[in-house]
Amino acid sequence: MLSAIFVVLLFIIGIYCIMASYNLVRALIGLEILIKAVTLLIIAAGAKSGHLHLAQALVITVIVVEVVMITVAVGVVVGIHIYNNSLDVRKVRRLKG
Amino acid sequence: MSALLILVPFFSVLILNLPLKGIRKLAFGGAICLSLLQMAAVFIPDAAFWKINPHAFGSIFSFELSADSLSKVILFCIGLVSFSALFATRQTLKDSAGRFNFINIILIAVAGMNGVALAQDIFSLYIYLEITAISSFILIAFNRDILGLEGAFKYILLSGVATVLMLAGIALFMLIAGSTSFAVIHAVLLNHNKDFLISLGIGLFIVALFIKSGLMPFHGWLPDAYTAAPAAASVLLAGVVTKIAGVYVLIRILVSVISFSPAIKSILLLVGALSAILAAIAALTQSDFKRMLSYSSISQVGYIILGVGSGSVLGIAGAALHIFNHAAFKSLLFLNSAAVECQLGSRDIEEMGGLAKQMPVTSLTSIIGSLSCAGIPPLAGFWSKLVIVIALWMAGFRAYAVIAVLGSILTLTYFLILQRKVFFGKPNAEFKDIKEAGFSLTFPALILAALIIGAGIFTPFILNRFILSFNSIFGG
Repeated sequence: MLSAIFVVLLFIIGIYCIMASYNLVRALIGLEILIKAVTLLIIAAGAKSGHLHLAQALVITVIVVEVVMITVAVGVVVGIHIYNNSLDVRKVRRLKG
Repeated sequence: MSALLILVPFFSVLILNLPLKGIRKLAFGGAICLSLLQMAAVFIPDAAFWKINPHAFGSIFSFELSADSLSKVILFCIGLVSFSALFATRQTLKDSAGRFNFINIILIAVAGMNGVALAQDIFSLYIYLEITAISSFILIAFNRDILGLEGAFKYILLSGVATVLMLAGIALFMLIAGSTSFAVIHAVLLNHNKDFLISLGIGLFIVALFIKSGLMPFHGWLPDAYTAAPAAASVLLAGVVTKIAGVYVLIRILVSVISFSPAIKSILLLVGALSAILAAIAALTQSDFKRMLSYSSISQVGYIILGVGSGSVLGIAGAALHIFNHAAFKSLLFLNSAAVECQLGSRDIEEMGGLAKQMPVTSLTSIIGSLSCAGIPPLAGFWSKLVIVIALWMAGFRAYAVIAVLGSILTLTYFLILQRKVFFGKPNAEFKDIKEAGFSLTFPALILAALIIGAGIFTPFILNRFILSFNSIFGG
């Protein structure tokens, strides 16, 4: 039950972080917090249903995939910073229509 | 043996990057051979090829691969579109080192997509989806221009959120079923009463797939990503990547895991109809060639979802047929836009005009692609739309069948506008010295156009075998 509360809490923090901030890096941090919430949820689900070994295998894979994704994302953010000289989301508005 | 379809592209990436002299020159030819082999492999009738020992890869979670007729259609599309995208790299990427890297990433994406098409458990499905998604992020941002980076960032953020929702769904399924295999979860869901956690898991999963396939309320990233990507990447993305990451997985999950319920059907029909109509209206107002094609892509995905939403075997077969047709005509049209962009240096359709004389092959193939997309008989697109409309009518969703027909008229309208502004009408004096694009853009376009006409004429034969074999995916 406790872990369920924490999962929901982390979800809310992550979504708030993505929605409320105007900084590209903070948006990625929000995404990371969301993934942490899901990681916790998988472990909690494994513990509750008695399949902790399965949950462990899944969580390690999720962490590896997440690291790769965030590396690519940070590379893209660095590229945007080179052009815009700022990390403001409001300047990422060239594509419209 | 079907694991070869995943392992061979991966190992060819490793081999191509060995420090051997001259091996980089093999990249293009090797990748083309792989895509041709993949298209040929689909026709291997041997059932043993398509099944592997479920415990061959490890003990903790069973890693199953197998293919039914739906997966084979998808595998064929992957081969076809990667073939076209590889050819497009030859003209659109001048730098040979850059082209080598691009081909490597295409191979990784192909391996990921083959994995998605073959996976039989929900977690390896997630891993392959991420391999596909991450390689398409890199493909979009490949030229490192600001538009590509912006498009890639939007895609990364929305795809990341979709991944989180999907993983939450997987965790909930695991909590209830204690396993990640399709078959086990399916059995548990059938016996279980519909409690809150199951409905939540199904809902999260379906919303994640809607985001990944760029359907109408969640479409924000798709036109930006398609427009900003390099030409060859647009061909791959529009032709297969989003269709597989979103629509195919949706069909697979609905058929093999969740099974249809009235609520799911009505959500699918609503979202499908919304995308089919609103995206077609949005496409009417675009002045950028690729952006118009992107909105057209959303609208066609709406059609596929309408077919799935009918919930019948006929509807699923029509959806699969439309995925195949969409892969053919949309990669053809994106190749045409690449040819026009390459020769004119612009994508603004207001500036163009009268290109039919100067670019006869591009003009002819784009007419075939547009008419197939609009559903004009006897081209291939007509048959799949007909099957979808008939499936909707027979399932009793008559209003949606009418909407589908109306959407088709809108499709014809925006493609006629596109044709008139780009290839017919008054020539622009600024572009009077334009010549036809090179062989590497016209050759795959001609092959795809021939395939569209051929598939259209022989559809009655294909359909017979096709629908008969589609009964098996429900039984299995």
